[in-house]
Amino acid sequence: MRGATILKATEDKTRPLNKHTLMAFVGEAGDTVQFAEYISANIALYSMRNSTQLPPYEVSSFVRTTLAKALRSKNPYTVNLLLGGFDTRTEKPELYWIDYLASSAPVPYAAHGYAQYYCLSILDKHHHPDIDLEKGLELLRMCTDELKRRLPFDFKGVIVKVVDKEGIREVEWEEGKQMYAP
Amino acid sequence: MDALVAQYSQPSHSAPDTILEDELALSTKIAPSLSHNFELPPVGSHSAWLRAMTDDHSNPSCPIKIAHGTTTLAFRFKGGIIVATDSRATAGDWIASQTVKKVIEINSCLLGTMAGGAADCQYWLAYLGMECRLHELRHKRRISVAAASKILANLLYSYKGMGLSMGTMCAGVTPTEGPALYYIDNDGTRLAGNLFCVGSGQTHAYGVLDAEYKYEMEEEEALELGKRSILAATHRDAFSGGFINLYHIKEEGWVKHGFMDTNPIFWKTKLEKGEFSNVTSKLD
Amino acid sequence: MASGYDRALSVFSPDGHVFQVEYALEAVKRGTCAVGVKGSDIVVLGCEKRSAMKLQDTRITPSKISLVDTHVCLAFAGLNADARILVDKARMEAQSHRLTVEDPVTVEYITKYIAGVQQRYTQSGGVRPFGISTLVVGFDPGTKVPRLYQTEPSGIYSAWKANAIGRSSKTVREFLERNHKEDLPRPDTIELAIKSLLEVVQTGAKNIEIAIMAPGKEIEMLASDEIEKIVEKINSDKDAEATQRRAGRGGAATGAQGSEQVLASRPAGEGGPAE
Repeated sequence: MRGATILKATEDKTRPLNKHTLMAFVGEAGDTVQFAEYISANIALYSMRNSTQLPPYEVSSFVRTTLAKALRSKNPYTVNLLLGGFDTRTEKPELYWIDYLASSAPVPYAAHGYAQYYCLSILDKHHHPDIDLEKGLELLRMCTDELKRRLPFDFKGVIVKVVDKEGIREVEWEEGKQMYAP
Repeated sequence: MDALVAQYSQPSHSAPDTILEDELALSTKIAPSLSHNFELPPVGSHSAWLRAMTDDHSNPSCPIKIAHGTTTLAFRFKGGIIVATDSRATAGDWIASQTVKKVIEINSCLLGTMAGGAADCQYWLAYLGMECRLHELRHKRRISVAAASKILANLLYSYKGMGLSMGTMCAGVTPTEGPALYYIDNDGTRLAGNLFCVGSGQTHAYGVLDAEYKYEMEEEEALELGKRSILAATHRDAFSGGFINLYHIKEEGWVKHGFMDTNPIFWKTKLEKGEFSNVTSKLD
Repeated sequence: MASGYDRALSVFSPDGHVFQVEYALEAVKRGTCAVGVKGSDIVVLGCEKRSAMKLQDTRITPSKISLVDTHVCLAFAGLNADARILVDKARMEAQSHRLTVEDPVTVEYITKYIAGVQQRYTQSGGVRPFGISTLVVGFDPGTKVPRLYQTEPSGIYSAWKANAIGRSSKTVREFLERNHKEDLPRPDTIELAIKSLLEVVQTGAKNIEIAIMAPGKEIEMLASDEIEKIVEKINSDKDAEATQRRAGRGGAATGAQGSEQVLASRPAGEGGPAE
C-alpha cells in the first residue's frame, strides 16, 4: 500500500528459509523484503556450508540476533515477524513471535498489529495444543471472519501456508463471504 | 564528508573488502558498484532537511522546487506490455515543461518510467541503463527484468531516508521471463505485478484502467486503453498533461506508438464518443 | 630451484614465469585425483578418496565434493584446506548472486568467479596462490544442458566434455580421450567416470566417491555398495575381454596397463567389511 492506493493485493509476505521453516513479515516498505531475503540467503548458506538444515529454534535465534544488531546500527529494520517451523528431531511444530525491537518468544499462536487485539482472544479460548490441521484452519477462519467483521479497513484476503513434517505448502483458502458486525 | 558517504555505500556491519578479509556473512545492503562520491549537506537528517527546503505544500516560499507531478502507467496483457505516460513537469505551481520524455529506453527490450523527482529519475535510470549494459557484457546475455529492477531497488534502498523521490516501473520482455513488470519506489519497495499506475494522477488512471483492464486484450484495445487512462489523468490532475507517450513492448523489443498532444485527443474523444460530458462546448 | 625469482609472488622470472603459480600446480598434481564426465542429460563427478586410517571416522571426514549451490557442484584436487576457503567464497557468491539478481548463478558465472579469486591470489602481495584445481559441474537454471568447467591456480578456466585433475590426471585424461563418446546415457556416464578413476585408484570402490547432478534435481551421492557393484561389473567385463583376447590372439599387446589388478589389494590395516 502506498498512500491511499493498494498497489498489489496478492503479494506473498512469507519467505521459506529452509525445508521446514517459514517466515512471515510485515512492516516498513522496503525493509521487509530486504530483511527476509537477507535472512533466507544466510540460512541457505548455512545449510550449504554445514550440509545440515538449521532447526527452527536456531533459525529464530539467528533472526533475532540479526534484528538486534541492526537495531543498534544506523539503519535498523522496522520489521515484525512470525516464524513457523517443524523440528524434525523432536517431531514438533514451533512458532516464534518476533518484533522489530528483537524480542523473540516461542508461542502456541501469534499475531502482529491490530489483528492481535481481535484474534488472540479467540485463540486463547479455542486453541488447544493437540488440535489437527483441520481444526487449525477452522480457527484461522474464525480469526479472519472476526477481522472482516470488526476491522475498519478491508485487508484483501490472506495467503495460508502450512508447515509440517512434509515441509512447507500453500493451502487453498476460499475467501469467505462478506461479514457484517451484528 | 566522504566518511559519511562510506557509511551508506557499505554494508552496515562489515569491514572494507580486501582480498584477505573473510567475508563472514552476506552483506545486508548491496551498495552501488561504482562509488558515488556525493557531497551531502552537513545536517543530521537528510530527508527532514530536504523536506524543509523543498516542500512547497507547507512552505510556499521554499528555496528549492523539485520538478514533480506525473502520471505514468504500465500493464501486462497477452500481447506484451503497454507503457504510457504524460509529459508534464511541474515545479511547485509552475509548469516547467510540457514535453518531458518520461519513458526511458534502457535497451531495446527494457523500458523504465519516471515519476517523482525528475532529476533523481533521470540520473538513476541512466545509471541503471549503464549497469544493464555492463551486465550484458559481463554475462553475455541480456539482463532479466527481475535483475534490472532489483539493481534499482537495492540502490534506492541503500539511499533510503536520504530524500530521493522516485516511483518507477521497469517493464520488459525477455526469453526467460516473458513479459515482466516491476514497480520500484524510493522506500525500497519492489513489486512484480500486472498493472501499475504511478504519480499524482495515478488514481485517475487507475479508475479508467481497472474498470476495463483484461489480460486477454487485443493490441489495439490495449493501446487505446493505455492512452485513454493517461488522458483521464491529464484531464483531472493539474500536475499531469502535455503529450501522451505510448509504448508497446513485444518479444522482439519495444515499439513507440507516438508522442501525442492531449488537447486534440481530448476533443476527439469528447466529440466522437460523447465522453467528458461535463465539459460543454456550447458557449451559451 | 633458483635465483630469488621464486620467492616473492608478484615477480616474474626473466623468462616470464611466475614460479609460485607453477609450484601451486605441483601441489595440485600431488592431490588426489578427481574426474568429471558429461553425459547426455547428467554430469558426474568422481573423486579418489584417501584411504582412511584405522581409527579415522570416515563418516564425518569432509568430502572432496562440495555443493556450491543446489544446482552447482565442485570437486577439487590439491590442498584440502585451501579448497575450503575457495568453496566458501563460491558459496557466498552464489547466494549473493541470488540476492542481487534473483536468479541462481550459471555454472559459467560461478566458474569465472572462482577463477577470478584464484587469479587475484597470483597478483597480490602477502598471499600465496590457491594450491588447487577445481572441476565445476552442474546445470544452468531452467536448462537441461550439462556443464563442466575446470579452474587452475593461475586463474585459467576452461570448458570440457570430460576431464581429470590431480594425481595421474594425464593418464586419466588420456583414458577419457580414448573412451568418451558424445551423448552418453546415464549408466554409461557413471561407469566411464568410475572406470577412468580405476586407472589410478588401485584400491577400488572403497576409495571412490561419485556425485551425480541432473537437471532440476538435488545432488545424488552414489552409495558405496552401488559403486562396488559397478566396479565389479567393470572388472568382470575386463576379465571377459581379456580371456577372449587371449583365446583369439594369445596375449596380444595390452591396452591399458595395470588395470588388471584392480581391486586386488586393499591398503593395509583397513580391515573392511565382508569381501
